[in-house]
Amino acid sequence: MTSRALPAHTLRATVRLSLSSLRAHRRRFAGTFLAVFLGVAFLAGTLVMGDTLRASFDTMFGDATSGTDAVVRGADAITTPGNSQGVRRPVPTALVKTVERVPGVAAAAPDIQGAGQLIGSDGKPIGGQGPPTVAGNWITDAKLNPYRLAEGRAPSKSGEVVVNRGTAEKGRLSIGDTTVLRTPDPVRVTIVGLATFAGEDGMAQVTFTGMTRPDAEKYLTAKPGTAAGIQVRAGPGVGQRELVDRLTPVLPKGVEAITGHESAEENTEMISSRFLTVFTLLLLVFSGVAILVATFSIHNTFAIVVAQRTRENALLRALGASRRQVAAATLVEATAVALTASLAGLAGGIGIAAGLQALFPAIGFPFPEGDLVISALSMLLPLAVGVVVCLGSALLPAVRAGRTAPLAALRETAVDRSGASSVRAVTGAGLAALALALTLTGVLVQPSLWLAGLGAVLALSAFVVLGPVASTTVVRILGGPLDRLRGVTGGLARRNALRSPKRTAATASALMIGVAVVSLFTVFGASLKATMDQTVSRSFAGDVAVSTPSFGAGGSGLSPGLAPAIARRPEVADAVGLGRGVAEVDGEGRALTVTDPAALARVFDLGDIRGSLDDLGTDGIAVAGTEADHQGLKTGDTARVTFTDGQKKTFTVRAVYGRSELAGDYVITRAAWAPHRTQDSDSLIAVAFRKGVGTDTGKAAVEQVAARYGDPEVQTRGEYAESSAAGIDMMLTLVYALLALAVLIALLGIANTLTLAIHERTRELGLLRAVGQTRAQLRAMVRWESILVAAFGTVGGLALGGFLGWVLVKASDGASDSAFAFALPPARLAIVALVGIAAGALAGLRPARRAARLDVLRAIATE
Amino acid sequence: MSTDTATATTTTRTAARVVDAVKVYGAGDTAVRALDGVSVGFPAGRFTAIMGPSGSGKSTLMHCAAGLDTLGSGAAFIGDTELGALDDRRLTLLRRDRIGFVFQAFNLVPTLTVAENITLPIDLAGGHGDREWIDALVDVVGLRDRLHHRPAELSGGQQQRVAVARAFAGRPDLVFADEPTGNLDSRSGEEVLGLLGRAVRDMDRTVVMVTHDPVAAAHADQVLFLADGRLVDRMESPTADRVLDRLKAFEVPS
Repeated sequence: MTSRALPAHTLRATVRLSLSSLRAHRRRFAGTFLAVFLGVAFLAGTLVMGDTLRASFDTMFGDATSGTDAVVRGADAITTPGNSQGVRRPVPTALVKTVERVPGVAAAAPDIQGAGQLIGSDGKPIGGQGPPTVAGNWITDAKLNPYRLAEGRAPSKSGEVVVNRGTAEKGRLSIGDTTVLRTPDPVRVTIVGLATFAGEDGMAQVTFTGMTRPDAEKYLTAKPGTAAGIQVRAGPGVGQRELVDRLTPVLPKGVEAITGHESAEENTEMISSRFLTVFTLLLLVFSGVAILVATFSIHNTFAIVVAQRTRENALLRALGASRRQVAAATLVEATAVALTASLAGLAGGIGIAAGLQALFPAIGFPFPEGDLVISALSMLLPLAVGVVVCLGSALLPAVRAGRTAPLAALRETAVDRSGASSVRAVTGAGLAALALALTLTGVLVQPSLWLAGLGAVLALSAFVVLGPVASTTVVRILGGPLDRLRGVTGGLARRNALRSPKRTAATASALMIGVAVVSLFTVFGASLKATMDQTVSRSFAGDVAVSTPSFGAGGSGLSPGLAPAIARRPEVADAVGLGRGVAEVDGEGRALTVTDPAALARVFDLGDIRGSLDDLGTDGIAVAGTEADHQGLKTGDTARVTFTDGQKKTFTVRAVYGRSELAGDYVITRAAWAPHRTQDSDSLIAVAFRKGVGTDTGKAAVEQVAARYGDPEVQTRGEYAESSAAGIDMMLTLVYALLALAVLIALLGIANTLTLAIHERTRELGLLRAVGQTRAQLRAMVRWESILVAAFGTVGGLALGGFLGWVLVKASDGASDSAFAFALPPARLAIVALVGIAAGALAGLRPARRAARLDVLRAIATE
Repeated sequence: MSTDTATATTTTRTAARVVDAVKVYGAGDTAVRALDGVSVGFPAGRFTAIMGPSGSGKSTLMHCAAGLDTLGSGAAFIGDTELGALDDRRLTLLRRDRIGFVFQAFNLVPTLTVAENITLPIDLAGGHGDREWIDALVDVVGLRDRLHHRPAELSGGQQQRVAVARAFAGRPDLVFADEPTGNLDSRSGEEVLGLLGRAVRDMDRTVVMVTHDPVAAAHADQVLFLADGRLVDRMESPTADRVLDRLKAFEVPS
């Protein structure tokens, strides 16, 4: 800091000076304080909550699996892109006997797991929109079973199940009730017990149904005698590591043992990477946006305060204060504000985390109890960000304060009314041109998200730099109707907004960034929806679809028997079920689509097809064009496929098709899949009716069949497209909620700037009141000024957000294999605009009230 | 509005008056009686100057008479309207429609042009005003070629002339001028005072001016002298020398 060069005694004087000025003008810094406070609180809250959740999951898995000392499982996992957990080869349950004979083993139990979705008492499936719906064998050894029986008894005969309490409550099921478990084939089950997980009603939102071991083997595995793993408990005096060392020699090739501790850690890690990391990252990005917005508000406040204090600073300079001392005084002030606001923000952040901890269970999300985890990092990082942002924002104004000429003390007013310099206009135009060139190259010429992203950042900078250049023209246009609508009051408001283009632009920039991010997501969300719509209308040639929720794990899927059953109806020409499988193709983990390829080609539009899907047989495979290009495959080539059961088989590429949107990258026949299958389910069944069958008749027929298979939803093409996009609306709602903070900070900035402007216009306001401006007119004048500044920011934000949305969509389109459609949602954007402008009116309320309270005489007499 | 009929009535009609006006600032030991029982009327169609040493209460009297400040006790009237009975809104509207103001400095809104500043009270009222009257005013104050300039582009004297034009634009019952020449050189000050005088004599307006300058006071028809919050003297047809002599008398303890 500058103070380093100052002798101690002059520093003391500087500090005293700035602290007394802080005390005298506390109100001026209220906005800065709030902006830093909110940004820091949000950031700290996010970090504390992330740590706390992670620690809770850690404890939860640790507790639940504390009785498991070792886990025996398949050694190799096939991981596909987008699924880090991977699929492991099952182990034979016969291995349990071998394990039990190892010295030091007290108990061992197979862990048979699969997907199983319960139907609630209202006939609707429970869960499935996110976390997995799990069914498994109820492990009778209480210490090995992560679930504890809380009420009732364990299942003892076929058809009896235990469910976790949270699931039972959600589905309004109780002990003694009979319902259906989709595995995906419907199984009638009777609930005989309720279970808890580590003392909670469940493992977060995961639903669990525990069956007898024979039931689990029958319904959840493709081949009896296999399990996902074997859980082992050690006898007294045998450590986990020791147990693993003893187990390893007896295990066959391709099977490994890990300690219970490692297994619990893997589970925590899985939840962390799948949910927590994404969640925390999302929150961090939005705190970043909020802090960026805050930077503008803070900078603006300091710039205005320094300008207002020109005479005072000039007097100090005239009295012999050095440039450094004057600049340092401002920086000391900034430091004081930054420290108090950041420290308050840390407290606020802890409060937010504590509040969420209390709130989560109330909205049905079990947030394990326990102390908040407050790490040094989650305190120091927000503190540092708060201080750096505040000081950084005050740096330029402080330097400017130091440059005050002593003579300025004699000048009348010192408000910076300078408009945009030509340097600024040229720099801005240059930035804009560069941004445009980069984005257009990244979008059209050589599709690259990086290039487009860099262009987007430059575009943002260009908007900020050009703000003062544009503000005069834009405010004049936006405020044009005001003169006619609101007479002289409106005219005065417009001119006040035009008074200091730099200030207006800086104030509006904060809101502009907020609105830009909001509209970017709005446009991107609408485009994603349009893309889904386009995908369905382009690729899906069927009449109705039976599908599982596309969002999250998708429940238990659809029974493989459903598609053939539907196909037997007289109304139906084709019914194709699409199942998913996982395998390694030429050494890389890939998702396979398991289906009837010939029918697939009839119900889906697969684009150009080279070769034929008609007879893939048990050794043929079809590959999507883009994937084939990546892997260097063409028709007639062979690909080596390794299944999850460890078996390898060579397939011949018999067809290469153009569109992979719904069909996936690889297609094989059910016959080819059958020997290697796991728990079978379809995720989508596409149905085409015979000629002359109406949609309603056909749909009713399909629904009749579906009712016998757990009653999954039957949707028309439009409904299917809509439900595919349902997740996007959920995402958008979350994003809007998070961006509300940034917009709030921007509004505080507008309110703060206005308050400061009113302070410097005190005499003018007094004059207006003296010559007959009523309080109502004065209030309206300030409010309209606020609305104009907000409108300027909103318009800029919409333009920037719309452009960036287009860039993002087009760059994604160019850079990825799937086609993206671009859509501008006019209604939603109009709402964004209205909200921005209404928010401006809101921001003007308080300054307007304060201005109207001015005492006329005192205002006129103010120096 | 009664201005049109004012020409017909006698000079005894008062445009504004205060009765037993008392105004105390502060409380206890530090209390200052700025007005200590003043009763005075400002006759319509005349130019009245209020004089007195600093702290005599002359500005307070003007502010209270003009409805910018409220009295502690007593009453203030504009025409027959008692100001104490009005709320802030009515008071504002009364100022807008019936009173004109010229302050010592900062008379103009910097964002408005000269023309817009002149019509500001009329525009605030949402009316159109008397265009011919305003046109004539512009010529009287001699600012026709400056109508579209901003205040910052005018000299101090020009700014005060704009303020005078603004004060008379709505044909108010009376115009209050608070040290209108305080910030001007003598030539510019003379112009402004000449304008105020002409407005009274040629256009039958009423002006009340607070000043500490005997030369300025000499432009008035009558001068009221205040000291320690009381009305102490009155002088008809003043000259600068007589006013100066009278002021000197305040300084000599009697």
